[in-house]
Amino acid sequence: MDWHLLGVSFVMVFVSELGDKSQLAAIALSGSSKSLKAIFLGTSAALLLASFLGVLLGEGISQLLPMAWVKGIAATGFAIMGLKLLLSQFELAAICDPETPAESP
Amino acid sequence: MSLQSASQSSSSSVLQIASTEDESELGASASQSASQLSSEPLPAVSPLGGTNLKVFLSTFLTIFLAELGDKTQLTTLLLAAKSHAPWIVFAGAGTALVITSLLGVWLGCWLARRISAKTLETAAGVLLLLISAQLFWEVFHL
Repeated sequence: MDWHLLGVSFVMVFVSELGDKSQLAAIALSGSSKSLKAIFLGTSAALLLASFLGVLLGEGISQLLPMAWVKGIAATGFAIMGLKLLLSQFELAAICDPETPAESP
Repeated sequence: MSLQSASQSSSSSVLQIASTEDESELGASASQSASQLSSEPLPAVSPLGGTNLKVFLSTFLTIFLAELGDKTQLTTLLLAAKSHAPWIVFAGAGTALVITSLLGVWLGCWLARRISAKTLETAAGVLLLLISAQLFWEVFHL
């Protein structure tokens, strides 16, 4: 067991991932969601799979996948989640919800 | 933070037009506002309008796609290629990634206990849009 290599890869990934976009996304999502376990599992599973593919495929991954499309889809996903959060605020403040039980007999 | 959210709320009215074509999204946010107004929070329903599985899947997919080809992945693949010991590199990188996401969730939870839900959700929405903008910027400057 190469403890030095284990330590080096741990420290390098830990430092480069601190404050990176996936950790910021985890902060943003968990602050506004009650299902913390789902956020944690989703984030770590995604990161583990991404780094597993990186280890497995090496440099080949950028040739296998159209990276512009992959990043574009991810960017759209983050935009939708962000807009959903902002719009839920906006509608609460501005529009009276028609399904409130106040008028029901 | 309050300046950011103020400027964002003015622009969110513009952005609302773009999303009105999505009926399911509107329905989800309408049921969310209904559950908040009746002050009986439904279990396992988040402000993102989904169940635990939906939250898991949306988190997983966006973060997975965003991390593909990112600098963390490049670090691991370079280390793995240089050392010829991919499993040790994966063990080290995997532990680091699980700990950083745990720290992220813990920090979000910590903030949620100190900041009002409205402020936090606005800030989270702005933060997610910034991440999205950063990714779009990367797409056009690859």
